[in-house]
Amino acid sequence: MKIDLRQLKGSGPAYYLLLAGLLLVTGMGLGAAWHMEHSGHIVTGMDNQIVWGLPHVFAVFLVVAASGALNIASMSSVFGKTAFKPLAPLSGLLAIALLIGGLVVLMLDLGRADRLIVAMTHYNFKSIFAWNVILYSGFVGLVLAYLWTMMERRMNVYSGYAGLAAFIWRLLLTTGTGSIFGFLIGRQAFGSALLGPMFIVFSLSYGLAVFLLVLLAISLGSARPLEPGMQARLSRLLAIFVAASAYFVLIYHLTNLYFAKQHGLERFILLDGGIYTYLFWLGQIVLGGLLPLLLLLHPRTRGHSSMVLLASVLVIVGGLAQMYVTIIGSQAFPLDIFPGYSISSSFGDGVVAAYTAKLPEWLLGLGGCGLVGVIVLLAIRNLAFVPQRLDRFPTEPTGTEAAH
Amino acid sequence: MKPDSTSSCGCGKNACSDERPDEPSQVRRSLLGVAAAGLAGVLLAPGVRLIEIAQAATPGVATTGANPKVRWGMLIDSTKCTPGCNACVVGCQTENGLTSQPGPTDTQYIRKIEIKEIKTGRTASLPMMCQHCADPPCVDVCPTGASFKRADGIVLVDKHTCIGCRYCMMACPYKARSFVHEPITNQKPDVPRGVGTVESCTMCVHRVDRGEQPACVVACAAAGYNAIVFGNLNDPDSEIAKRVAQFNTRQIRADLNLDPGVRYQGL
Amino acid sequence: MEWARLLGLGALCLLLLGGTVNANEQPGKSSRVPKPVIESARGAQCVEPADAMRRNHMEYLKHQRDDTLRGGIRGAKYSLKACIECHASQTTQSVTAAPTNFCISCHSFTAVKVDCFECHATQPAKSGAAFLPLQHPGGAHAVLSRQLRQFKVQGSDKP
Repeated sequence: MKIDLRQLKGSGPAYYLLLAGLLLVTGMGLGAAWHMEHSGHIVTGMDNQIVWGLPHVFAVFLVVAASGALNIASMSSVFGKTAFKPLAPLSGLLAIALLIGGLVVLMLDLGRADRLIVAMTHYNFKSIFAWNVILYSGFVGLVLAYLWTMMERRMNVYSGYAGLAAFIWRLLLTTGTGSIFGFLIGRQAFGSALLGPMFIVFSLSYGLAVFLLVLLAISLGSARPLEPGMQARLSRLLAIFVAASAYFVLIYHLTNLYFAKQHGLERFILLDGGIYTYLFWLGQIVLGGLLPLLLLLHPRTRGHSSMVLLASVLVIVGGLAQMYVTIIGSQAFPLDIFPGYSISSSFGDGVVAAYTAKLPEWLLGLGGCGLVGVIVLLAIRNLAFVPQRLDRFPTEPTGTEAAH
Repeated sequence: MKPDSTSSCGCGKNACSDERPDEPSQVRRSLLGVAAAGLAGVLLAPGVRLIEIAQAATPGVATTGANPKVRWGMLIDSTKCTPGCNACVVGCQTENGLTSQPGPTDTQYIRKIEIKEIKTGRTASLPMMCQHCADPPCVDVCPTGASFKRADGIVLVDKHTCIGCRYCMMACPYKARSFVHEPITNQKPDVPRGVGTVESCTMCVHRVDRGEQPACVVACAAAGYNAIVFGNLNDPDSEIAKRVAQFNTRQIRADLNLDPGVRYQGL
Repeated sequence: MEWARLLGLGALCLLLLGGTVNANEQPGKSSRVPKPVIESARGAQCVEPADAMRRNHMEYLKHQRDDTLRGGIRGAKYSLKACIECHASQTTQSVTAAPTNFCISCHSFTAVKVDCFECHATQPAKSGAAFLPLQHPGGAHAVLSRQLRQFKVQGSDKP
């Protein structure tokens, strides 16, 4: 089956309106970053107790989703699922856009964002952060090369190798992102080898959700219906990834509940942590886990593209909630410097830290998301990323997992 | 004085030149310098210490730097600390140019912590600052290597290289570090601090390098408690080494195996 | 339309040439950008000749900062604190407060941001706290008269 990828052309103002809106959001994000750079972090809600705030929630989510968004392409190039081949370039594009969006937010939230050159020339290789600088920027380059092998006819023979390289790099990148937290012994929520693999599974779930969202948006927006078999396949895949994520969350908390010294933390997250408890149960578990599973698997809802779209959005919402609990909840919970003692000081020791994100943080985080949208919109309009037809996909060689 | 055509600033004016063209030789100059320094010191600078004059006897010669054989440490006797007292904190704030009455976004190098054992009700009071660990997690996680441990054990932040990512603040088990949230002016010349970088207790490295004690130690002694002892843990004849060998002292969160240079007595 | 392209290129060249001629500061020609007014320093003599300092002060400082901070070496030649001791303005006691003060005058002329003073103090230490002038190379006369001048300035309640 000949795969026909074209630029997304069409008439109508919807595209331009969306682009204008996203450019505005991105612009406001850049403005917020300038304000933070100029006036210092005092304009944000962050303080010496909550040092990583909402921008980090968005940034880490985007980076994790970036790795997972490449999964469709990886499946086609590395695991031989040829049915996904037409969607592979879009998958690569999304991976790059998401990573750039996340990286920009991360870099603009630095206290000295003007010292980026220093960050790129001074490396402490004991720090996973330093490795991540290389892994993140290398990922963009590698996926660009991968896209080139897929979209340039004479380079198609190399797409398998590029795909494998990108796949391995993806695993390293996401493990590195999870290990940012996993390598820290100081905080009770971290210091676990589980966090690297957990983030990999999260990435599969969040990345596919974003991919599905974009795919269905293109399908609906350009009136090219998605083949029901492919939609069903992607829905099932998302359901599997959501279930796998839930498994990791279960193991993480179950293990913590076995350690008496972690009971304080578990009580905080699961019971009386206020916003963090709500975000965990309502956001991460219900909206991000149970409800999408229901929508994706229940016979009444599973075939409908609107339900699949809703499920994808819910997974994204659940992902943001999970990042908020992981990143900010872990900082809000006081350090256990004197086990067995209740402590107090002028520096917030012994008490749950309060945090409310201020406007510049929201604008910066959403600005990163806006940038992702701008990159995707510009790319699909000007380069051949979108298949002409979404109602036909190549069949598998063995026919056991046929697209029809 | 006639204008010096070889004046170094090239302005042609004689405002900066105090020296006559036929200045006496270098040897006499430095002898006169020591004499004048002694006189000027007595007359004009009440705060100068003898050790500074001794160092000034060889102007323009640099010190040899941090000695790897030395391990600076502190011993804090919490039994001498009282809940109401924060002399060490005030001393630190004055020395380092920090805000008094700090808010949530203001820097605190040292803080007093009141602890109460939940099961028994026993209370204690102690100051907590950067523990200057031998195996610091903050140094491991810094992406640019700005957070580093000096040869003599003092853990510092190189503000030239710090990009303000705050990862070290996430990593520190003692929550020792602070982030500078707004532009700073009127810094102390000995303590450079700037917006967007991370900072923490330097064990008054600028004083230590002059042969003096950290400000918290001095302040506590001035308040009459003498709860903090500072010295070289590697020198068996030092006060601190003798005390840690004799008394029951411990490191906070010793289970983490970070080997802090700050030890506590009475906890 | 080859002639139009050539004409455009020629006009561009003339424009650039005119721009460079204007930027060139020839004696007698009025320049758009005034030369910086630099306040003179207090001390006897700088640690390096002026032209070497002008070109290389950033290199000297950059190399010494690591020796000082990471090596703990104090009192070496290119101490930023010592620079400020001499170069702080007589009126503002700072190197960056007013446009004619030492550091800021050249740096604003060359449009190079001085990152140093994000962190470093722009004023010398108050007398009594750090007796730094003693460590600075200079003759006995210079040191003593400088101290007397400072004492005089502080004694008379000048703003």
